[in-house]
Amino acid sequence: MTIQTNAADIVTVSAAGQVANPSMSGLPAEPYRLDADGKAFLWPTFGGIVYNVSVGDSAFGWSGDCVHPSVSISHPDANKNRGLNVFACVGNEAMIVSGAAKGAKGVVTGKSGRFSDQVIVHFDTETRGLIAVDDSILVKAEGVGLRVPDCPDVAFKSLSPSLFDALPKRLEEGVLKIGVVATVPPHMVGAGAGLTSEGGSLHMQSTDRAELAAHGLDQLRLGDLVAIQDTDSRYNHGYLRGAMSIGIVGQTDGPRAGYGPGMTIVMTAPAGQLCCYDAPGTNIADILGLSA
Amino acid sequence: MPSLNTNESTLVEMAVSGVVTTPSVRPGQYIPHPDGTAAVLPGMYGITYNVRCGDRAFGWAGDHVEPGVSIDDDTNPGRHHALHYLNCIGNDAVVMSGMAAGAKGIVIGEHARILVQFDRDAHALMAPGDRVQVKTKGQGLQLTDYPNVTLKKMSPRLFHAMGVIKANGRLNVKVAMELPIRIMGSGAELNSEYVDQDLMSGDRALMADLGIDQMRLGDLIAIRHADHHWGRSYRENAVSICLCIHGDSIMTGHGPGILTLMTAREGNIDFTVDPAANIAQILQTGA
Repeated sequence: MTIQTNAADIVTVSAAGQVANPSMSGLPAEPYRLDADGKAFLWPTFGGIVYNVSVGDSAFGWSGDCVHPSVSISHPDANKNRGLNVFACVGNEAMIVSGAAKGAKGVVTGKSGRFSDQVIVHFDTETRGLIAVDDSILVKAEGVGLRVPDCPDVAFKSLSPSLFDALPKRLEEGVLKIGVVATVPPHMVGAGAGLTSEGGSLHMQSTDRAELAAHGLDQLRLGDLVAIQDTDSRYNHGYLRGAMSIGIVGQTDGPRAGYGPGMTIVMTAPAGQLCCYDAPGTNIADILGLSA
Repeated sequence: MPSLNTNESTLVEMAVSGVVTTPSVRPGQYIPHPDGTAAVLPGMYGITYNVRCGDRAFGWAGDHVEPGVSIDDDTNPGRHHALHYLNCIGNDAVVMSGMAAGAKGIVIGEHARILVQFDRDAHALMAPGDRVQVKTKGQGLQLTDYPNVTLKKMSPRLFHAMGVIKANGRLNVKVAMELPIRIMGSGAELNSEYVDQDLMSGDRALMADLGIDQMRLGDLIAIRHADHHWGRSYRENAVSICLCIHGDSIMTGHGPGILTLMTAREGNIDFTVDPAANIAQILQTGA
């Protein structure tokens, strides 16, 4: 259903970044990370151009650690990167402004937080073949400041107004209800708790696979809409009975303790003003028409 | 009761040095309450004169209050990490320079800095920049007969003081309280050898209902379904034994800091709640 927003008042601003390269720690150049069983592993992780993982694909089963689908960008200056990471919103248009793919358009599909701080941008496979690391990408950042006048207690973040318009949703007795694929219970919320909710990601934990499956979380795809129960993400992410946050799965699963698929949080309310309903298959790849 | 067998005789005791820190604040460093109301509050770094290990963890007009003296070596990342990875709770510390030189203290926590409790007379004489040296001992400590129980940042002195016993084939640890895993928050992104994980105190009614708001700095804490072996994650039937190292926070996703001391996956650890299970008492860190 159509729900009125203040989209006409939103300021759209440029936020630029460069295509990131995978990065590893310095000497002694230990390449391994530890999984939740203490076993060393070496897998690709965030950063770079990922040719064969795209929004719409499974979030599980890859030989990778919290891999960002398609292209990850960041700005080399920490403050300007913060500007990029906070202002870029899921659903925003991105444009390549240098290199062989100059002029190609993409769409922001997620963000990542502490230790990577990148914005995840979808480009189709053909475009990915032309992109070089360090190419400049401009995001037309639109969405910070988004409000819904009929839902004053719901906070919106990292969400483009046009994507909000396209999401399955209902407004019933003043409660905003969003169609989601699954709900993450609070004990399965991991990395990202206590960190900023204006940028970055909040991860579900996947160490206990049986518990993950019991909540129907093991079948999630990149781009799926999910609810996070008893989680208040107005100012940082944290536990609060009755609160709810809505997220979009942005990056894949990974084997580290406290980690699992990351979610970019796009809505939150502290006391029942935001709810969800089952809407199997709700995925931004379909909603935004993104194809690999 | 015979004490549990350990590999204590094999441990290497080594000096690691840091300096007394001074508070560091960014311009405009407001922190938000859950409703967005901004605040500026003291708590981290430096010498905290009136909050000691054993005092309440909640109710201070402060944020992440670090009891005692916060030391670090931020001039060199290698030295910083040595201080963090080699220090164990209960290790002896000595002031090596300044007006309090010679004063002795005890390591009571590890936040972004190492927290050391000295007596009030020593605190009154110490100044930022004074060098504090810790006789680190405990990394590598194992329970010979319980290979599935992992100890972290546990000095032999603390382990013996905790009075862990064998009961029904498991270890039984006295703790001041139990925390539900669903409120464990900030720090999930870190490895479990480095600093702590905050409990999330934003649900104030829950804190009161479960008595969590009665927590004291230095309390021993149990968490079921918490696997803290290599990072911190939910795993059914795991149990971790932890320590409250810093005070409450106003920020969403934060609260008193909970540092890992013991962890086991398969029911090797159980616990008994005893409000007296606090390291200020069992290590006699002084009032």
